[in-house]
Amino acid sequence: MAELDDIIHQPLRLKIMAALNALPAAAGLEFARLKKLTGATDGNLGAHIETLAKAGYVSVDKAFVGKKPQTTVTATATGRGAFARHVATLQEIIAGKQG
Amino acid sequence: MIDSKQATDALADINDTVRRVRQSQIYQVSSLVMLMWGVLVFAGNISSWLWPRYGLSFWIGVYVLATAGLFAINAYNYARSRIRTFDRRYLLTFLFIVAFGIFCCVFGQFTPRQQTTFWPVYIMLFYMLAGVWFGTAFIVIGASIIALTLIGYVYIPGMPFLLWMAVVNGGGLFVGGLWMRRS
Repeated sequence: MAELDDIIHQPLRLKIMAALNALPAAAGLEFARLKKLTGATDGNLGAHIETLAKAGYVSVDKAFVGKKPQTTVTATATGRGAFARHVATLQEIIAGKQG
Repeated sequence: MIDSKQATDALADINDTVRRVRQSQIYQVSSLVMLMWGVLVFAGNISSWLWPRYGLSFWIGVYVLATAGLFAINAYNYARSRIRTFDRRYLLTFLFIVAFGIFCCVFGQFTPRQQTTFWPVYIMLFYMLAGVWFGTAFIVIGASIIALTLIGYVYIPGMPFLLWMAVVNGGGLFVGGLWMRRS
């Protein structure tokens, strides 16, 4: 029986993973765009990205574009797999196979 | 474990986020394309106003530069986000649109003034069609430029119409591109 992924299930982390999974495999989102898309605050978003990074679900790259620091977040293969399983579990629950 | 309603809400959240990401990507790339077209169309109209005899050559130059610019934007975007935005399919679509526009101008025997009006109205029609699928910003920008173009066609006689078009078409695309970047 499939289980919901506790790390992904938190609402903001679910949005972060959904946003990153909407991109091609190697593509990432800049922190500022992720913030706009999820409607989160800087601190909140940073904390949840850290949780996802610790679980190995996202990778975080920090670089300088000109003189500006830019953080890019990308879903890892592990994260994409976990997200796909999480979505499948949600669909199973809706279909009445669980819960 | 969550119930069916909570699962439905979670999936709706996912779908909404995915929709917003896709729209954001389309807006990001389209805004760059609009900024480029804004500058080129402004330059094309001003050049045609200054040297009307060479108007056709200027506009051919604008389209050649725009094609090169679209490939440059694709390369920039790919380097930045690993997403390809302009390929041979898009080039072919662009060429079909231009070819049909030329067909209309030739068989419709448009005057230069009518051609100056026709092209923005024709291209903005595609923006509005894109808006039906990809986001209302395209519809707002397309409808605004079409309305301003037709106002100029009716109320601004002679060569100053080209200055009007430089502002409302070139400037409109530029401002629209900036607005889309912020959306």
